[in-house]
Amino acid sequence: MNTIQVNNLHFSYTPGSSVLNGIDLELDQQTTAIVGQNGAGKSTFVKLLKGLLYPTKGEILFKGKNTRDYTAASLAKDIGLVFQNPNDQIFKNNVISEVMFGPLNIGQDDQEARHNAISALKKVQLDDKLDTNPYDLSLSERKMISIASILAMNTNIVIFDEPTMGQDFAGKEKLKEIIWDLRDQGKLIICILHDMDFAAEVFERTIVFNQGNVLADGPSREVFKQKNILQQAHLEQPSITQIANELGLDGNYLTDEELIQALKEKMTS
Amino acid sequence: MSTMTLYVDKKSFIHHVAPLTKLLYVMVSIAITYIIPKLEFVLFVTLTSLLILAIGKVFRKILPILALSILLIISIIIVQGFFHPENQTVLYSIGFITFYKEGLTFAALLTLRVLNMIMSFGILILTTKHDELVEDLIKKGMSPKIGYVLLSVLQLIPQMRATMGKITDAQRSRGMETEGNLLVRVKAFFPLIVPVVLNSLHNTRERAIALEVRGFNTKMKKTFLNLSKEYQYTKTIQSILWAILIVTIAWRILS
Repeated sequence: MNTIQVNNLHFSYTPGSSVLNGIDLELDQQTTAIVGQNGAGKSTFVKLLKGLLYPTKGEILFKGKNTRDYTAASLAKDIGLVFQNPNDQIFKNNVISEVMFGPLNIGQDDQEARHNAISALKKVQLDDKLDTNPYDLSLSERKMISIASILAMNTNIVIFDEPTMGQDFAGKEKLKEIIWDLRDQGKLIICILHDMDFAAEVFERTIVFNQGNVLADGPSREVFKQKNILQQAHLEQPSITQIANELGLDGNYLTDEELIQALKEKMTS
Repeated sequence: MSTMTLYVDKKSFIHHVAPLTKLLYVMVSIAITYIIPKLEFVLFVTLTSLLILAIGKVFRKILPILALSILLIISIIIVQGFFHPENQTVLYSIGFITFYKEGLTFAALLTLRVLNMIMSFGILILTTKHDELVEDLIKKGMSPKIGYVLLSVLQLIPQMRATMGKITDAQRSRGMETEGNLLVRVKAFFPLIVPVVLNSLHNTRERAIALEVRGFNTKMKKTFLNLSKEYQYTKTIQSILWAILIVTIAWRILS
């Protein structure tokens, strides 16, 4: 089981100004979206999960083991983290060796790494650009490379920090498929998002962060229903939910299919 | 988060002195230690700088920088103590090592000059926001281009350090060890340095475009966003500093 247990997690960069104040969570198989205002502590939280930072108080247990006892590099086999800015990691002069860097680091042999890298690049539809220099590609393509370079490591847990940023509709559709595909393989997906529509449509569970605390946590449908709580965290409901509210429909809707279905039924009756 | 400047935000009399006045202090205090090469006098100037640092509540911040200069100071003492050409009076000897009075006096003079230099620059840098200083210089007629270069240089290192942190995180999360023996560190060098360099080249270009878009090179007379701050006793302090400089020069010529 890929569970992460977070107990009474506190963290501060500088003593006196705390970023996270006492978070208790259990992250299990569900695809999980983390939403919240800028500065709510989302990125810090995932860095802690990944072992890039260590808690100032409390603990994070991954498969029962404390992350404090491991370096980020040794956790890399189990937990993959895709950063916001692809330019912070790309250093090879062709796509394939950039994507193979992670797999080789965690001990895959050359053939296996190449195989995994190519299949990861297929998923992001960049497998026709193996020998291109990454810096000749667009930013959104580079972002896809950084995603592929984590996918190729074949980790049981994959964390994305704002993957939708700078992606067009097609890019988001691609991401959706990747996330669903990972879920079907039984992996734990955690994703920081600012795009409520994307969170509502794709993720089973949503956690709302506000000023270093968890304000709401539960099935996405339940969380996005609570307008007051979202407002308190300075977030808004997904646009489909808002439209349904404006139309005065009962129940709550997360995806356009659901809303269209409901409207059709209404019109026929 | 790492701080972007060496500036220490505290409330003190020194923080309220105009940046240009402090710059003048740096120049005068360094100049007079050369104009009057007397040990007692240089000691007095150095102590004055020390006192000003203490008033500015930044004395503690200068200590690491002073510690770095210890190596230089030790080498000055050894070289001058042994080999100064005017060495005559033996002060004391340890085994075959002999220290001479003339050499050591000269070494003490040099040491104090170095300390004074560091501390007076410390006064300027630790108690002045550097953008304020550069803006004041531009108002006095310095080219904005030079001002921009100065500011970029001052920001370059903290900025690179911040990028370096992000890149290290990104590579570590792809399983790269960054801590350990020499071999591990050598291996980690390229994955870290390539993005740093590419990023800074990229940023430089972006920044140049952003500046140009906002009319950086315009020939028009520019106005300033920030109002000139009212500083206390600017005229008085500056006149005193000029007076001190003139008196020392006069003393040097006459004596």
